[in-house]
Amino acid sequence: MDSIIELKNVTFEYDDNDIKNTVISNFNLEIERGSFTVILGHNGSGKSTLAKLFNGLNKPSAGEVFVDGISTLDEDNEIEIKRRVGMVFQNPDNQLIASVVEEDVAFGPENLGLRPDVIRQRVDEALKAVEMYEFRTAAPHHLSGGQKQRVAIAGIIAMKPECIVLDEPTAMLDPKGRAEIVSTLHKLNKENGITVVLITHFMEEAEKADRVIVMNDGKIITDDIPKIVFSNVKKLKSVGLDVPQTTELLYSLKNNGFDIKTDVISIEEAADEIYNALHLEEK
Amino acid sequence: MSKVLEIRNLTHTYSGNSTTKRDAVSNITFSVDGGEILGIIGHTGSGKSTLVQHLNGLLKPTKGTVLFEEKDIWLEPKKIRHIRSKVGLVFQYPEYQLFEETVYMDIAYGPKNMGLSGDELRVRVEEICKLLGIDEDYFEKSPFDLSGGEKRRVAIAGVMAMRPKVLILDEPIAGLDPKGRADVIKMIESYNKAYNATVIIISHNMEDMAVLADKLIVMNKGALAMFGKTDEVFLKADLLRQIGLNVPIVTRVMAALKKKGIDVPDNIFTVDDAVKCLCSIKKGGGKDA
Amino acid sequence: MLKDITFGQYYRCNSIIHRLDPRIKILLLIVVFIFIFLAQGFAGLLVMTLFITIIILLTKVPIKLFLKNLKSILPIIIFTTLINLFYSKDGIVLFEIWKLKLTTGGVERAVFLALRIILLIIVGSVLTYTTTPNDLTDAIERLLSPLKFIGLKRFVHVLAMMMTIALRFIPTLIEETEKIMNAQKARGANLEEGNIFERIKALIPILIPLLISSVRHAYELAEAMECRCYNGGEGRVRMKKLRLHISDYLSCVVCLIFSSSVVVFNILI
Repeated sequence: MDSIIELKNVTFEYDDNDIKNTVISNFNLEIERGSFTVILGHNGSGKSTLAKLFNGLNKPSAGEVFVDGISTLDEDNEIEIKRRVGMVFQNPDNQLIASVVEEDVAFGPENLGLRPDVIRQRVDEALKAVEMYEFRTAAPHHLSGGQKQRVAIAGIIAMKPECIVLDEPTAMLDPKGRAEIVSTLHKLNKENGITVVLITHFMEEAEKADRVIVMNDGKIITDDIPKIVFSNVKKLKSVGLDVPQTTELLYSLKNNGFDIKTDVISIEEAADEIYNALHLEEK
Repeated sequence: MSKVLEIRNLTHTYSGNSTTKRDAVSNITFSVDGGEILGIIGHTGSGKSTLVQHLNGLLKPTKGTVLFEEKDIWLEPKKIRHIRSKVGLVFQYPEYQLFEETVYMDIAYGPKNMGLSGDELRVRVEEICKLLGIDEDYFEKSPFDLSGGEKRRVAIAGVMAMRPKVLILDEPIAGLDPKGRADVIKMIESYNKAYNATVIIISHNMEDMAVLADKLIVMNKGALAMFGKTDEVFLKADLLRQIGLNVPIVTRVMAALKKKGIDVPDNIFTVDDAVKCLCSIKKGGGKDA
Repeated sequence: MLKDITFGQYYRCNSIIHRLDPRIKILLLIVVFIFIFLAQGFAGLLVMTLFITIIILLTKVPIKLFLKNLKSILPIIIFTTLINLFYSKDGIVLFEIWKLKLTTGGVERAVFLALRIILLIIVGSVLTYTTTPNDLTDAIERLLSPLKFIGLKRFVHVLAMMMTIALRFIPTLIEETEKIMNAQKARGANLEEGNIFERIKALIPILIPLLISSVRHAYELAEAMECRCYNGGEGRVRMKKLRLHISDYLSCVVCLIFSSSVVVFNILI
């Protein structure tokens, strides 16, 4: 596998009043270049810690994390690692630095010391990619949550990263904002070939992913394509995940004696499943 | 049943200079009865938050009146603070308002502002915590050491401890995981039952509204687009879609089934109802064959 | 009460003055300030008044906005005027009450100083009405950049970064303060009544959550900046390059002509 991120026997601990807390231990994971991976887990499952290990914001206590083959412990390459693996956080308000959208997007490329005309071009491209170009001179505090989060994403892709890691980027957004972000990410993955690692506790955001990893207590409990992961609703619910209502319905029907699969999320597919199940019965 | 809260022709306009954006509302009329659960749905920016801040007198209407127990709350502007203990308002992300050293003291802040003290205060706090399942072990903890979900519960308890007759919650479950959500919804239901209190909930989540709310208000661009029993509102799926909202997912699945020729009723809004309905169809189908 | 604070007074329109380079505007503001102080007689001050009137008309900003700014410092103008009215003993005595003598010299001096303050305020308003806060911080950063040659490079960068972040977060923090105030008011907090001690005590429920949230903002912002390859400003360039146009040079010339006439009048009269 051509992997962009590789974790080898990683352990991460932190000190809390001299008590050592181990968040993850002996963790192995590879993220394939160009893939769209979703990491699901409830609050406190260790997924945020994991995300920060990806770009060296957290340094492993033992083991090593490689980005494009470079260890995150390599201090000479600290900036380059952060450029290659960009990161977007939950609260859009705490990620925007400048009070004009385009100047905020320029912040990353400016730090990289690029030529001003190159920066300009990258900022425009990045804003167009997240469909925020028309807001380039707006002030962030006049934008909606979803729009602010898209500006934050533009700020990352203006650095031309290989991979973008998002730590619960939709948790504070309304349904409209959430949908905007997820479709933007799929577009970036398909059209710009950027590897996406989306961390969330909304299962429906994983519907179109290439790979879904479910975390609990700092461990991977499932790692597969969405259909297979979603077919085990019981397991997902047991680790405190949000299950969409379509899945909930199919699961309840199954428990009530329906011969039905639970691995679909969209309304149309769910209706098909139920229709088929009712039809089978008639035969 | 008697009207606890009545809003007549409420209009609020903002004069330009404000740094914080608020959305205007215009000509809103509705009322809620004692013990009812009312849901308010609408997009971000539809005026939901502006509307509810009028109900406890945080905002004064530009035009129109707000009546609490048939009395205009602005009749004596100096006594507006008393209204706030009768109409409790829990803001979005209420955990950000915690400030006291201990959980107990934070929950006691509201009742203390009402003038309670000594045993009366202690009984009040203990009673609400017992009702909501907040264990006494928590009393001496710092609210800042709690988990996100626990903080939210303590903050909501702080408003409930004033024992308001009307409790308003702005997106009370936003940002919580399923466990936290279930806990908060349970709290709201127990409070509603224990004191026969009216509850008003702002939410984006149609699925939760279908289970919780007796009546629904739909806000659109600062105006009241719909007001009626939850079933009645959800039956008007087209109208909801026009303003960019939707009916619960399960209702949409049922509509898709109906299109395929399966005879299901239109008024299915919860998973439980859907399962009941489909099971009976299955049995019926089985008998026919 | 908080929503009355308007941060930055930028008036959006597209005038010659709006389009001037912000660095030039700041420099010319300083020049005009100096010459307003240098003017010793009414003649010089009147020339500056004429100059500033022309600028006001060029900004296309409604006159009433300038008057609004003057109104807010009216007490200071009245205070200095009154003091100076009776301070000077020159000229003919107009009338005398108790120990206070009102002389023509005093009137002249009072009017002169009042006019000077008014002009200073108006010139300042011209800058803030026609330049966005962003352009202002940008210009200050660039004007200070020569300091890096005397080993203050880090200082210049940190100052600029602080101004940028402050500009970005002031609206956020104001909004948050308002939210927390409303939340505590909804829990019965009494912020309007009581004596000074009670009022200060009533602020605690607002200040603590605000402090906690500011720390959170700062912590998360620092991480986000690190993720965007921020390295304390080492090797950082700016996307926007400020370039001087003919109008900028021209405005310098015009300004210097008017200002130097102050010197001429000072010498002649």
